Amino acid sequence: MRSALYAEWTKLRTTAGPFWLVVLAAVLTTALSAVAARAVSCAATGCGVDAPLVALTGVQLGQAVVAVLAVMVVGDEYRTGMIRTTLAATPSRAILLGAKSLVVAGATLAAAVPGVLGAWLAGRLIMPGRGFTAEHGYAPLSLTDGGTLRAFAGSALYLTLVALLSLGIAAAVRDAPTGVGVVLGVLYMAPILVAVVSDPDWVRRLRQIMPSDAGTAILHTVDLPSLPIGPWPGLGVLALWSAGALLLGGLLLRLRDA
Amino acid sequence: MEATIEVNGLRKAYGSTVALDGMTFTVTPGRVTAFVGPNGAGKSTTMRVVLGLDRVDAGTALVGGRPYRSLRTPLRHVGALLDASALHPARSGRDHLLWQAHSQGLPGQRVDEVLTLTGLADVGRRRAGGYSLGMRQRLGVAGALLGDPPVLMLDEPFNGLDPEGIRWMRGFLRALAAEGRAVLVSSHLMSELQDTAGHLVVVGRGKVVADTSVADLIAAASSDRVTLRTTARTEAMTALARVGATVAVTERDTLTVDGLPADRVVTVLSEAGVPFSEIAAHRATLEEAYMELTRDAVEFRATEVAR
Repeated sequence: MRSALYAEWTKLRTTAGPFWLVVLAAVLTTALSAVAARAVSCAATGCGVDAPLVALTGVQLGQAVVAVLAVMVVGDEYRTGMIRTTLAATPSRAILLGAKSLVVAGATLAAAVPGVLGAWLAGRLIMPGRGFTAEHGYAPLSLTDGGTLRAFAGSALYLTLVALLSLGIAAAVRDAPTGVGVVLGVLYMAPILVAVVSDPDWVRRLRQIMPSDAGTAILHTVDLPSLPIGPWPGLGVLALWSAGALLLGGLLLRLRDA
Repeated sequence: MEATIEVNGLRKAYGSTVALDGMTFTVTPGRVTAFVGPNGAGKSTTMRVVLGLDRVDAGTALVGGRPYRSLRTPLRHVGALLDASALHPARSGRDHLLWQAHSQGLPGQRVDEVLTLTGLADVGRRRAGGYSLGMRQRLGVAGALLGDPPVLMLDEPFNGLDPEGIRWMRGFLRALAAEGRAVLVSSHLMSELQDTAGHLVVVGRGKVVADTSVADLIAAASSDRVTLRTTARTEAMTALARVGATVAVTERDTLTVDGLPADRVVTVLSEAGVPFSEIAAHRATLEEAYMELTRDAVEFRATEVAR
């Protein structure tokens, strides 16, 4: 496992693509958060805005870049045919996918941690000027506050789980464009599908099991009981999706001809 | 570990197309085994099966007595070149070898060794996407040699090589076999393996058509035909006809003798006191012997294509 991990790390660092995707994910996460922080305002006490959630808006965009990064780790190998060299070097499909998962998780955290910290800094610097002040009941965003810390640290975990979900899907579909399409469909189409369901009970049920809806519960800090699912159980649902995708990808990798 | 590849009764079908139909052969150490047959005969599929890349419906493939997927550091047991173009174009040749070395617990120093061995030391740090096909073949061979394996398996390594590259590859394969390695080399052009292969596994339609040593094959295909140059044409024809040979005149002072080995021709002419200036036994090339052998096994005959 260690040598497989070393090999995957060597692969990742010896092409420029992954590095720039990590930078892009971090920059876009921070940038969209800064834009969102400038776009909201709080006119009076009790405006009810979830300040950390606003400051984490960039995660919605960062997840797409992270998904592309994860899909490329597998998709590039199928595009070039290099997957056969890879499987010849590491015949155990389980070890190979495990090594790829760890490398992808590491690269995602390398993007998510600075990206989310940037988002926090943007929110902390910009939002007080938009009416999020002590007299309206808002302290500056602080990572020592339990709920805020959970939302920001949780969003880094959320991005990592999205990346692993993408990796599993890419291993199953074996093609980068298809992989990106399926992942973005799962992440962004599900909320749209939920919107066309009229029965409120079903909407709630769907939002409890959809990976992006359930997973982003971790970003919320106010009015938690009104969410369809709690922050940590929600992240757990996403984790199940990721584990399921990796399991499916690994199984197909084992059963199909390379 | 024993340096062998053992392929036993491989069967594989893609839908109704049979790719492997009981493929069975053994590659033994110390010689180059040529794996030849027309395109689509199952050579590449067999190699992919040996590497655990493709599954089979029946049969087994063992490297050194073990299934490939059970090997922990497989590149130390068998080095393979399947598709020289299967690399990331943006990665340098050296880095392409480096990740493979790391996957086997081998140091980066080994990468530089095989780059030198294959004549790529100067271009190792350039993007592999800019390599010619010949350079990619060398890079693929370098990858196969990384783990210094006792077994080597190369699929069409001559593809894209210039004459100098072909010469280099032949010598290289011979040297690897001389070191006691088992070397399996596939090709659809038999002439590439002239003077290189010691053993021949000929396949057609997913199974082995012939499994023979190259020396035996050539001897069998070489008929007793001798070319003779002499100024005493009539005397020579008379003397040779008397012992039962068929003699034909091909040029003014050149005869072709059928049905008598060269040493007997020499004896007969000497005893009869017939002078001759040149005598040459016709010897089939590996290519001719191979064509003879596969005449019936070729998947698409020229006549069929012509229709």
